[in-house]
Amino acid sequence: MEMQKFEEKLIQMTKPDVPHLKHEDMLANAITKAKDKSIVSWWWLSIPLYIVAALSMKTIFMPRTTLLSNLHELTSNERYASVIFFFVLPILLIIINVKSLRNIYFLSGNPQMITFLKGTWYHILILILSALILIIYSL
Amino acid sequence: MTEIELLDSIKKNQDNFSELFKLYYKPIFGYILRRTGNFDDTVDIASDTFFNAFRNINKFSYKGISIKVWLYRIATNEVNMYFRNKQKYNLVFKSVDFENKDAFNSLLYEDRKEMETELHKHDQYLLVLISLKSLSIKYQEVISLRYFEGKENKEIAEILNINEGTLKSLLSRGLEKLRKKCSQI
Repeated sequence: MEMQKFEEKLIQMTKPDVPHLKHEDMLANAITKAKDKSIVSWWWLSIPLYIVAALSMKTIFMPRTTLLSNLHELTSNERYASVIFFFVLPILLIIINVKSLRNIYFLSGNPQMITFLKGTWYHILILILSALILIIYSL
Repeated sequence: MTEIELLDSIKKNQDNFSELFKLYYKPIFGYILRRTGNFDDTVDIASDTFFNAFRNINKFSYKGISIKVWLYRIATNEVNMYFRNKQKYNLVFKSVDFENKDAFNSLLYEDRKEMETELHKHDQYLLVLISLKSLSIKYQEVISLRYFEGKENKEIAEILNINEGTLKSLLSRGLEKLRKKCSQI
């Protein structure tokens, strides 16, 4: 009974109402002209991808070498740079893109799978490429 | 114009987003204000809500939920982030260039004065809000949508993406906790 009274009190009590907001039109205008300033770019991934592509070319033109042997040679010569490009960078990109995918799924409002894939192919591609670089590095 | 027609027109020309803004800015602003009780935080959260909506409207698929529910969902998420982090990073005011920032600030000043007067007319509500803010966010959102916004359970469940059974149990537990808090004041 007490609970019912409390519920009625919540429904009946007056709540603040919003009149016409004077800043509304200017804000709408500014938002529709806004540009997305994202620093996350797939170009970061182009560095390790470029190295893998160069090593693949080296494998093709130099007999008796493999992609893995060339990669191992590079990682022993350039230890710190290879850790950054082949390990840290892909992991960072995986984390950023998984977070982005979760965010996009939420902001798309229960999208159909096909619509979701169409809108996020770019993030999924980066995820796959990052995973591929991690796999090559760990071999 | 129906929501579907509006969505199509925005997808064709993003300038038409201002139509969506005209339709829903006031109710979303009101919802955020009634949850935070603070004008400045409401402006930050409401503008971030619409900025997020603007950036993602092309990915929005009407088949899942309506635009209105979608906007309430984004707003709820933004308010919850505000309560969790307290220090709010305002995306809009970092990314948007206002043609006349002084004019915008002066309009904000006028709106703030009007809204603060309005807020102080509702003492009982402000007391309940203080108690509500001390509860866990999961109770705050259901109670606010049900009793401050007067929404039906079905719509609240859609906004929060939970089933109606979970919602009813959250409402009942949250209401009991709120009643105890209010009786202590």
